[in-house]
Amino acid sequence: MRSAPYPTRSKAYGHGLLALARRRAEVVCLSGDLTRQCEVDLFQDALPDRFIHAGMAEAHMMGMAGALARRGHIPFVHTFGVFATRRPFDQIVNAIGYPRLPVRIIGFMPGVSSPGGPSHQAVDDMALMRAVPGMTVVDVADAVEAAQVAAAVVDVPGPVYVRLRRGDTPVVFDDADPLDLHHARLLRQGDAVALISAGMMLPAVLAAADTLDAAGMATTVLHVPVVKPLDAASVVAAAARAQVVLSVENHSIVGGLGSAVAEALAEAGSGRRLVRVGLADTYAEGARDAAHLFTKYGLSTQAVVDAAWVALGRGGPPPAAALPPAEVGEYAPV
Amino acid sequence: MPDVALPLLADRIRAHAVRMVAPQGFGYLGQALSGAELFAVLYGWALRPGTDAVVVSPGHYVVAAYAAAAEIGLVDPALLATYGRNDSTLEAIGTERSPGMDLTGGSLGQGLSAAVGFALSDRLRGRDDAVTYAVLSDGEMEEGQVWEAALWAAHHRLGQLVVLLDANNSQVDGPVDTITTLEPLAAKWESFGWAARDVDGHDTDALVDALGAVTADERPGVVIARTSTRHGLDCLPADADGHFIKLPQQLATAALAELAARGA
Repeated sequence: MRSAPYPTRSKAYGHGLLALARRRAEVVCLSGDLTRQCEVDLFQDALPDRFIHAGMAEAHMMGMAGALARRGHIPFVHTFGVFATRRPFDQIVNAIGYPRLPVRIIGFMPGVSSPGGPSHQAVDDMALMRAVPGMTVVDVADAVEAAQVAAAVVDVPGPVYVRLRRGDTPVVFDDADPLDLHHARLLRQGDAVALISAGMMLPAVLAAADTLDAAGMATTVLHVPVVKPLDAASVVAAAARAQVVLSVENHSIVGGLGSAVAEALAEAGSGRRLVRVGLADTYAEGARDAAHLFTKYGLSTQAVVDAAWVALGRGGPPPAAALPPAEVGEYAPV
Repeated sequence: MPDVALPLLADRIRAHAVRMVAPQGFGYLGQALSGAELFAVLYGWALRPGTDAVVVSPGHYVVAAYAAAAEIGLVDPALLATYGRNDSTLEAIGTERSPGMDLTGGSLGQGLSAAVGFALSDRLRGRDDAVTYAVLSDGEMEEGQVWEAALWAAHHRLGQLVVLLDANNSQVDGPVDTITTLEPLAAKWESFGWAARDVDGHDTDALVDALGAVTADERPGVVIARTSTRHGLDCLPADADGHFIKLPQQLATAALAELAARGA
């Protein structure tokens, strides 16, 4: 694993999908008028015969994708996470979910990573997709995982929802690290607090763990790229080693990773206290940039440190998060 | 192909539907009555099983599709007696897993997108001869997705896509034209880039002619079939609710007698 500040890469997913499609003739690519933004301009240029402009018509796009999957194609469907889940929810349930078809829905720009206002912020996409029976829900952390995710999900039985960061993406893992859809990844072990994170919150969680470790609170970090089906055994084991558990997600605390962890701990009789860090049942307003929203709505490194500090019952002020400065082209969490 | 004339096949579809709905005492009989000739022409004249695809967009019409499919051997006729029963594969409102057609569904307005997907798949694979038929109802044209799909099909000139539109002027809250004006139907489809024919939906000859014409056209085609949810059963009361007809046993018996008198 690398250390912050992280180098960044662009179009990791797009290159990964294209490499997969060159090997697998069944793969077709649908785009809902966000082709370059979803990195599939690469696919369009290289394999135009298998690239389909659905246009600004998400309901229709999901219906077409279901029918294509029935015929043996493997459709990868691309738009922003909000438009991939909220608007065509009924179509996903009926045309894709219920017949358990292998459609891969790729939703870019998760949570408050967009300054585009609540209409563009996918803060409930994981909650919606988790509720669809048989749907696999993937929230990858970095460019290494993004590069692998198309190949990792192509043969998953039934439908898959993948949320992906848009634009330059930090490189956290080593290139040889495999994306494992069946096992959460234990990155660090400590007996005070367990931080369980999904998606792009990983850099903030690792920085928070550094800060907490330095303050004498040994920290476990469990990275969970697959929120459904959840690797409950790893979650319960991580919780068992710690005094308190924090789930950290760029999503509402209702219905996403935090809810999945709560369900796993409760059903296992864990009894560990859980604090859900994420959007606290709110929409996010007033942004020129995503960093501001992450700070304003409690998704900063300091917010994770503070939540752990309070949950552990420590008195006094919490330690200040140590954040390395990022140069242009690098990424560090806020 | 069945060895009966298409008008008689339509009445046989009606008789199957009466027998399937009667045990419940009420159900989606009106859809079978308005769509009987349309399904007879589709399953008995146009469809080449194994080559063409059938989408029945409104799952409420599956009673007619099951009957027609049974008549040409795509569904075991013995299964019809299980229609709408617990654990039956023949759900009263069709689902994405229902037999006898390539796709149906109970959430209205979605079938045309699926039909477009089938036609697109045929194009991707060079299956130039295959035709995708999509049965739609007029009421579901109130759903925006129908128009998304109609635009898309015309833009991509999916000439092997044909819609059979059952214009029975019936939806849950009453006649369609009292809820939302859809007319002029043919002009709307034509303005979207489709070849359209507007015909008497209970005239099998007219349906055959129209279906042949729009299928031959290089644009996607639509046959607008003007129908009634009470057609073919004079015994039904004049105020019968076409969306969900009450069918007590006495009325079912009278209906079957009326159809038997016509040879069905």
